[in-house]
Parts: sequence; structure tokens; C-alpha cells
Amino acid sequence: MTLAINISNCPCHCPGCHSHYLWEDVGLPLTTTAIDDFVEKYGTNLTCISFMGGDNDPRGVDHLAEYIHEEYPQLSVAWYSGRTVISALINKQNFDYIKIGPFIKHLGPLKNPTTNQRLYRRTEEGDFEDITSRFWKK
Amino acid sequence: MEIKNFTITKRDGSQAQFSLDKIMNAIVKAFDSVNEPADLGTISKIISHLDIQDDITVENIQNQVEEALMREGFYHVAKSFILYRQTHTEDRDTLEKMRFLSEYTDSVNAATGSKYDANANVEHKNIATLIGELPKSNFIRLNRRLLTDRIKKMYGKELADEYIKKLTNHFIYKNDETSLANYCASITMYPWLIGGTVAIGGNSTAPTNLKSFAGGFVNMVFMVSSMLSGACATPEFLMYMNYFIGLEYGKDYWQHPEQQADLSLKKRTIDKVITDYFEQIVYTLNQPTGARNYQAVFWNIAYYDRYYFESIFGDFYFPDGSKPDWDGLSWLQKRFMKWFNKERTKTLLTFPVETMALLTDENGNCKDPEWGQFTAEMYSEGHSFFTYMSNNADSLSSCCRLRNEITDNGFSYTLGAGGVSTGSKSVLTINLNRCIQFAVNHELNYLDYLGTIIDLCHKVQLAYNENLKELQQHGMLPLFDAGYINIGRQYLTIGINGLVEAAEFMGLKITPNDDYLHFVQGILGLIEQYNKKYRTKDVMFNCEMIPAENVGVKHAKWDREDGYVVPRDCYNSYFYVVEDDSLSVIDKFKLHGAPYIEHLTGGSALHMNLEEHLSKEQYMKLLKVAAQEGCNYFTFNIPNTVCNDCGHIDKRYLKECPHCHSKNVDYMTRIIGYLKRVSNFSQARQEEAARRYYAMADK
Repeated sequence: MTLAINISNCPCHCPGCHSHYLWEDVGLPLTTTAIDDFVEKYGTNLTCISFMGGDNDPRGVDHLAEYIHEEYPQLSVAWYSGRTVISALINKQNFDYIKIGPFIKHLGPLKNPTTNQRLYRRTEEGDFEDITSRFWKK
Repeated sequence: MEIKNFTITKRDGSQAQFSLDKIMNAIVKAFDSVNEPADLGTISKIISHLDIQDDITVENIQNQVEEALMREGFYHVAKSFILYRQTHTEDRDTLEKMRFLSEYTDSVNAATGSKYDANANVEHKNIATLIGELPKSNFIRLNRRLLTDRIKKMYGKELADEYIKKLTNHFIYKNDETSLANYCASITMYPWLIGGTVAIGGNSTAPTNLKSFAGGFVNMVFMVSSMLSGACATPEFLMYMNYFIGLEYGKDYWQHPEQQADLSLKKRTIDKVITDYFEQIVYTLNQPTGARNYQAVFWNIAYYDRYYFESIFGDFYFPDGSKPDWDGLSWLQKRFMKWFNKERTKTLLTFPVETMALLTDENGNCKDPEWGQFTAEMYSEGHSFFTYMSNNADSLSSCCRLRNEITDNGFSYTLGAGGVSTGSKSVLTINLNRCIQFAVNHELNYLDYLGTIIDLCHKVQLAYNENLKELQQHGMLPLFDAGYINIGRQYLTIGINGLVEAAEFMGLKITPNDDYLHFVQGILGLIEQYNKKYRTKDVMFNCEMIPAENVGVKHAKWDREDGYVVPRDCYNSYFYVVEDDSLSVIDKFKLHGAPYIEHLTGGSALHMNLEEHLSKEQYMKLLKVAAQEGCNYFTFNIPNTVCNDCGHIDKRYLKECPHCHSKNVDYMTRIIGYLKRVSNFSQARQEEAARRYYAMADK
């Protein structure tokens, strides 16, 4: 089970965004305590925590990712960023999956072979491999 | 007229309840002002002519009132009403200026406070810069009117309207619309050498010795710059200076610079005399200038290797019949660079922007090894300058951005038309990201759509050119008449911005790959097609990736507001994504290499951002990489650290001042062509600087 955490105050403002409310500065502060509460609430069912957005503060996302890996090594960490390149402000090794790319209507979402979005998975060697094509219907 | 619950739209765009009383009051006042009696019947009759619909604008109602008054025969009253409206319009303009004034004085720095044409080149925010800002909106209105009137005459009203529509909807951007002067020029100083500044309205005669050269040069650059809105390049500066030093101390002065040169108690050496003149000229030209809204003049100079020197100045003769001396110039160029690099550790000096011109052979080696090595040496010593490299001396970049074809025009100093005299009359920029997204969203072929925009730009530029010719016919452009600039060698420039962002929208990876290259060549090739199509014996067009000092920020903001995909807050001025740390130094040279820049006839300088300085050997290797990839114009940019507490300047990129250990430090960097303090850039630009990745040496 993956817990997706939507992060508000998104600076990307993609036209056709499905979560328009996340453009605003809404919701509760996402702290390490909030992470602890989530993990406690969902218990052993939880296998992955995925941050959706957070491009306003990549360092903050990075910090939380590092925290999760240290405190809960059993969990994978994913980040969905709306930027076109992976932020230079994070340590990629704190993440297991990184998705990048704004939503662009004429190219379609991840499952569409023409998509601009890319999903990368960290390999055992610490490199990131592009696994986007796995989402395309053969 | 039936009274209903209407809403009206006020001037600021807000909605308000329609009030008949307000209209009646205004009409009664107009009657009173000319002592015309008004009874309820008359007023009702006037009001009955009005056609009020929901959301009607205040302007529209007032227009109708004017017409109704005249229709009823009250011409005096109508006139009074019109005058009353005019007074209020003027009041509103003044109020707007006052609001701007208070916002400007409150803003954090001059670039952020500037509403129309932010320029990081203003160091301070004070009453002089404020005076420069205030008339900018009027200049924009005037320039648009001058241009649309001319377009109407040449191509009809439809095209004039189309221009304004594309401009106000941000498909295109007119650069330097806040100035009346033509853009930038690389000048020949030959007319000054012959006749002083008299021909351009000055009172000094031709320089005759080193002292009058140094003093007169500064005055001449100030005068020329006040007639340009952009940069003034003087590629002959050191060549002339070498001549005058030779007159003073003998042509072989450089072989004994340690000799005593004056009889004062200081016993200055020749070298000291020379560097004192460097100091006088450079410090004076870095001063804020009254005639340029308290900005310094944008002054550029050039250095040459032996081959460039020979191809540019091979046919040059001084008025006394002598020829320029390469050995002396070679020494003087080196002396100036060394002096300037050292001086920059004392003071933040932005100007001159320097370009080194080097010729390379087919293997990518510098043909003049002495100057290739010296270039690498200066980079390794932390000096910041541009390098222009070519495998034949057919072109030169003597301005901070302009490339100039040398061979196809031929040049003759005797006619006053130097091989170095070129420039751009006017820049009109295409917002590629918006144009391409608009086309794709409307299911149009984006190149077809872009073709219509490019065609429009060329016509608008030709209209601008006609206006400029008219100014010249009336004797308003002495720089052209006196021969400092040759109008036939000046380009009309098509600028581009948002290229990388448009490619990202098309789902392309911004790395050296065939799809991206094909995309770039498709667009730039199309612009070049039009540049050739519209070229005549009198007008030339070129294309450049504009250094998007503030346009990149504006485009990103406007496009985001209008619902376009905007991946960053400032559009790139490069072929790669500035914040992408996965690209190596080699990748970046590739992305500014020959296949990419082939159609970019106006040039684009790669700003290679590095975190730390490299050794001379490493720079030698990178010069070779640049030559092999065909990246002809570039600079290395390592932020210099400036301590805000003790004022110490360090050539390295440091978090702490090595002198007083303060952490309160600022940086000097080249975000666009100019080396400036980061804190003087507008806020959006500062954010870009903070995000920018400075590559490590081993990459």
C-alpha cells in the first residue's frame, strides 16, 4: 500500500491540473511528527510513502525522505515533481522512485506512450533507471 | 430608457452598481459650468439617448453622453464635458505616477522596482534612477504609436492592429520600447581620430597625444552611448591606445616599460603611466551616467590574436600613414587584462565587457598558440571575459552579443566604414513557448503558425527601419552621418525567448539528441529563411537568443497567468536547462555547438557556470572542446565572493569571507552579459541565480 501525500502551494500551475486546490497555501504543516502519525495509523500495511508535489520546497521534501529512510527503513519513498528536471537541491539517494514532468494535455499522462512525464527507479547501484515504458499498454 | 439593475465596469476593471443619479449630476455640472440653464425635461431627453447595457464601461457611458449633448444641440456643454473628462484623465495619469513613485521608493532594489524595463545595471535606487523610470510608460506609448502609424502606411491598418494584438497578448515582445534610440553598435572610432567629436555635437578636436586620447575617449563614449539604448563597443580601443603610447614613448615602449617616464617626484614608469590611464578610463566609464537614467554606459572592448588582428586591421592606416603595430598591441592587450583582473579584486567593475577573438585550425587548436595559452591563463587566474572562436576570420563578436560577418561586406577605413562597425538597430522578440503552445492547442502546425508570426515581425522591423531612416534624413542620427556606425551594416534583429520551454512542452528531452536538434533547427532555420527573404541591399536581418535579463521573467509570468505550461519562473537564455545538474560541461558545449547555433546568426553566448576555478591546462582542454564542438562564443562564470562587512573581494565562490570570516557575503556573477552583484538583480533573477547549478571541476 502506498500512502500519497499531496503537498499544497504547488508553483507549477499546469494547465488542466487535476488538483487545482493544491495551488493554494492550504492544509496542515507536513512535519516529521505528521509522518510518524501516518505510519502509526496505517501500520504494517504501508509499504511506500509518495510525496505529490512540493516543488516550492525541494529541500523540505528531501529532508522528510531522509527521515523516512532512517526511521522506517522498510518503507520506500517516492516523489512526484512537476518540474522538467530533478531538482539539484535534493539528494537523489533519499528516494526510491522519482517522477518528473508537468502534466501536458496533448502528450498525455504517464500511461500514454507520448507522455513527457518520466518515472525513475533507483537501482541497487544507486543509479536511476527510466521505467516509464512499463506503464504503457503493449 | 428603462431603469434596471445594471452593473457597470469601472476603469480599474471592478464592477459597480449603475447609478442614474451620477450621470444626471455629471450632466447638470456640465450645464452649470457654461452657465447654460438645464431643466429636468432637457436632462431626461439627453438621458433617453443613452443605450445602457449590463457591464457597460464608464468610458462608453461618457462617450454616449458627449454624443447625446451634441445631438440635442448643446455644443458648448459638450465641449465643457469633454474638457472635464480630459482633466480627469490627466489627474488619473498623475495619480498612477504617484502610486508608482511610492511603490518604487519602497521596493528592495532598483531592478525589482522598475515596472517597465528592469535593468540590473542600475546599482542604486535614488532620485536620479526614479527620474529615469517615470517617463518610461510614455515612451512605450509613443514608440507604439510611431510604429503603428508607419505600419498602417506601409501595410495597412489590419497589420498594425495585428501587431498590437500580438504584442499585448505577449506572443511577441518589443525590446527597449522605453527608449527612442536605436539599439546597440560596435563603432569605429576613425571619424573621431580624424575630426574629434564636433560632427556628433561635441566641441573637442581630434586627439593628438596620449593624454587627449584618454580624456577624449571617455567623452566620446559617453556621447555615443547617449544616442544608443544598448551597448557601445569600441573594438579599436587598445589598438588606438597603443598608437598614442607609441607616439609618446616610442613604438618599442613595451620592451622597457620599467623606464622612468616623468620628472615628477613620483618618478612614474611608462608602465605606471599606462595603468594610470587604464584606471582613469575604466573608472570613469563605470560611473552612473546622467543621460542614461543613472546607468553606466554599456562599454565593450575586444582582444585579438595575431590572425584576427591581421585580418581586421591589415589594411588600416593611421592619419600619419603608419600602420598598427602588432607587437606593441599584443603587449598592451595582455597588460590591460592583467591590470583589469587585479583591479576587480579591489572594486566591482562591470565594464568593459571583454571579448577575446581567437582563430582555430581544423583540429581545434589555436592558430596563435601564444594567445590561446594566454586566454587559458587568464581564465585560470579568475578573470571573467568572453571568448569568440572561429576557424576562419570571417566573423567577429565585438559586442557582448553581436556576431558580425566580416568578409561579405568588405571594409575600408579610408571611407570611415570600419570592419568593426556593426550593430543592431532594433530587437523584436518572439515568445516561442507561447506561440508553439497556442498552435498545438489549436491543432495548427506549429511551424506554419510560427511562420505567420515571423513574417509579422519582419514587416514591423521594416516599418521601424523606415522611421529610423526618417530620423536620419532629419539629421537626428549623427552617429550614422559622421561614420561611427554604418547604417548598411546594422542589423534588424529577430530575438527568440522560451525555446527550451517550448521544446519541453513538445515532450523533448533537453540533452544533445536528434529530436531536440531537429526541433531547434526547424525553428531557427525557419527564421533564417525569412531573414533571407526580407534581406535587400539596404536591410539585413539576424536572429539571436536574447539575454533574457527581464523578458524571460515577464514571459514566464504572463504565460502562466494565461494558462500555458511554464516549467520555470524565468525562461532560459541558453539551449539547455540552467538548473539541470545531470548535464556535463561537454554536454553544454555540445548544446551550444555548431549544429545548434548554425542558424543563430546574431549569436548567443554560452555562460558555462562552474563552481570553482580550473587550471590553465584544464581550460586549454575546454577551449579545444569548444572549438571541436563549434561552440564559437562562450564565457566561464565562477561567482566571485564579496564580503558585505569588510568589503573584501575574492575570485572564488565562498560561503565565508576568508579575510574577516563573516558569513554576510554577496556574489558577483554573470547572469546575462554583465558581471554584477547578485543583490542588484531583480528578485526573480536572484532566484534563478540561487537555483543555478555550478558544475564541479571533474564533470
